[in-house]
Amino acid sequence: MPRYAMVIDLQRCVGCGACSIACRNENNVPDGIYWSNKITETVGTFPHVRYHYIPTLCNHCEYAPCVRGCPTKAMHKLENGLTMHDPSKCIGCKYCEFNCPYGVIYFNWESPHRFWRETVSVIENGTASPKEMLAKVGSKATPYYNPEREATLPGTRPKGVVEKCTFCDHRVKKGELPYCVEACPASARVFGDLKDPNSQVSQLLGKFRPFRLREQLGTEPHVFYIRGYNPAQVAPSKGGV
Amino acid sequence: MKRGNRLFMVWIGILGAAIIAGIVTAVKLFIEGHGLFNTNDVIIWSLPLGVYIFLALASSGLTLLASIPLVFGVSRYEPFAKRLVFLAIATLCGAFVSIGLELGNVWNMFYIMLSPNLSSPIWWMGAIYSVELVLLIVKFWRISVGDWESPISKSVGVVSVFCALVAPLMIGSIFGITESRVTYFGPVMSIYCLLMAMLSGVALFILYSLILQKATGEQVTRAQMVMHDELALILKYVAGAVLVFTLVRVAIESATRVPEFLMIRKYEHTFGTILGLQLEVALGLVLPFLLLVFKAVRTSWAGKVVASALLFFGTLGMHMEILISGQSHPIGPKAEQFGEALSYGPSVWEWLVVVFAMAVMLLLYTFGELYLGLEKTTGRKTVKVADQPIPSQQMRLGENR
Repeated sequence: MPRYAMVIDLQRCVGCGACSIACRNENNVPDGIYWSNKITETVGTFPHVRYHYIPTLCNHCEYAPCVRGCPTKAMHKLENGLTMHDPSKCIGCKYCEFNCPYGVIYFNWESPHRFWRETVSVIENGTASPKEMLAKVGSKATPYYNPEREATLPGTRPKGVVEKCTFCDHRVKKGELPYCVEACPASARVFGDLKDPNSQVSQLLGKFRPFRLREQLGTEPHVFYIRGYNPAQVAPSKGGV
Repeated sequence: MKRGNRLFMVWIGILGAAIIAGIVTAVKLFIEGHGLFNTNDVIIWSLPLGVYIFLALASSGLTLLASIPLVFGVSRYEPFAKRLVFLAIATLCGAFVSIGLELGNVWNMFYIMLSPNLSSPIWWMGAIYSVELVLLIVKFWRISVGDWESPISKSVGVVSVFCALVAPLMIGSIFGITESRVTYFGPVMSIYCLLMAMLSGVALFILYSLILQKATGEQVTRAQMVMHDELALILKYVAGAVLVFTLVRVAIESATRVPEFLMIRKYEHTFGTILGLQLEVALGLVLPFLLLVFKAVRTSWAGKVVASALLFFGTLGMHMEILISGQSHPIGPKAEQFGEALSYGPSVWEWLVVVFAMAVMLLLYTFGELYLGLEKTTGRKTVKVADQPIPSQQMRLGENR
């Protein structure tokens, strides 16, 4: 059985956010919820400043605190290492969200994609209302609804339960890449089997010194980061004196 | 307060209105979802959960207090036993109302039974409190029919007290095992919850008993007065233990440079401060403890009422402070959407959940007093002891401290 992991090359990543948009489309993610997200940080004092950008998603931890804490096993591990969530078992206690060290689990505080059920048009007798547009497109939930998501999870998750990244398990099952990997224009994301020594993820982890988020917690995240883009140079000096 | 009297009708009217408002809130929550709460993906747990912890711990405290006559066989406390068990049941029901409306999908609760996760402290907490509720009901039934001593009655009492000891530890460990939140991590929260359970349980019972006496105009025997003074003494010791624990915690949190503690230090004064100490600690713990230290205050009706009320509601304030300050800053990428730190104030709907939980609890108290003869100790010969002049040895226990 494979053990899936992702390597994100921070030198290649340009911070365009295509991963987040692709994820939203692929998984019908509602507003306010981010399966694919980022941590940004600005360091230094003007004019010597630098902007750091780290893309984030569920780390599919080997020892996932969300799985350990879920009272009904709604949050569970698959044999291939993916951390999955079953909304039909979720009681909405939000303990996984409380317990996640990476801030990647979100709760559906209200019925998802409510905007597309509104009947008021932007310009009366001029534009269609969101509901009318949805009806014209003949789609569910949103005009850009992806029915393929339904293969392993409800297409949209109901209010009162949590949701998070699944490494696009429905695509992986078909031998395809997670959609954020597919959509990345800079090929900064590499997905594969950690157990296979010849997989690209294994090769990259052997070639570069990777880091993982909050490694000291011992959760063994399966999202690794390598390299980091930095055009700055340091002029040789004797200790800067 | 008796059935038919005007004050009683007003009381029932208020509780009825509160329950109707609570039912409307529940329906609205089921239809619209928890967007009605002033919560978000950073401040995830709010007032309804704080009230659940508060009431569940108070129920555990009442059960532990009930163990004095029911498990440890201190016969002079037997007149309190039935009322203590009933109050524990009613308070736990109030707690369940609050948590039921806090959960996003309460209808899936049966998966707690069908798909249990034994590594989850939430599962253990739910299971133990459910078992405790059933055992308390059985125990109440047994002592109501005069069965205090049979092996079944005794065993049920022992197991329910065991549950009351373990459940607060489990509530604490829900917070204690969150690696993501350093300010909660470790065994401290479990010990704290157990102490708080005892504190709120004893405070609630003293407050309730004394208010009930005034409301019903019941004649108080000297023996009852002495026992209330003994309870106030127990309250003083428990408040002292919580105070020492709290001061040590505050001292360590103030001294450390661990970033998470530095973060919450900025936001842990939701209710304001007095002389640098959080308001709820100053008014809800230090002040009542000082009141209880003085024997003249501790043995007066007003002194006991004020001290126990401050302690009881102070525990709610302390639970809320810990709950909210630990969630006030976003974890990881959530800072991108929510900013560095968040504040919290409950919405009307959150208050209504609390009103609903309290109303259910108080309505049960009221019906219990009316129909279940909580002051009776059917089948106990030792009951008479409580109404007789107090033996000199027992009197000294109260007077020498």
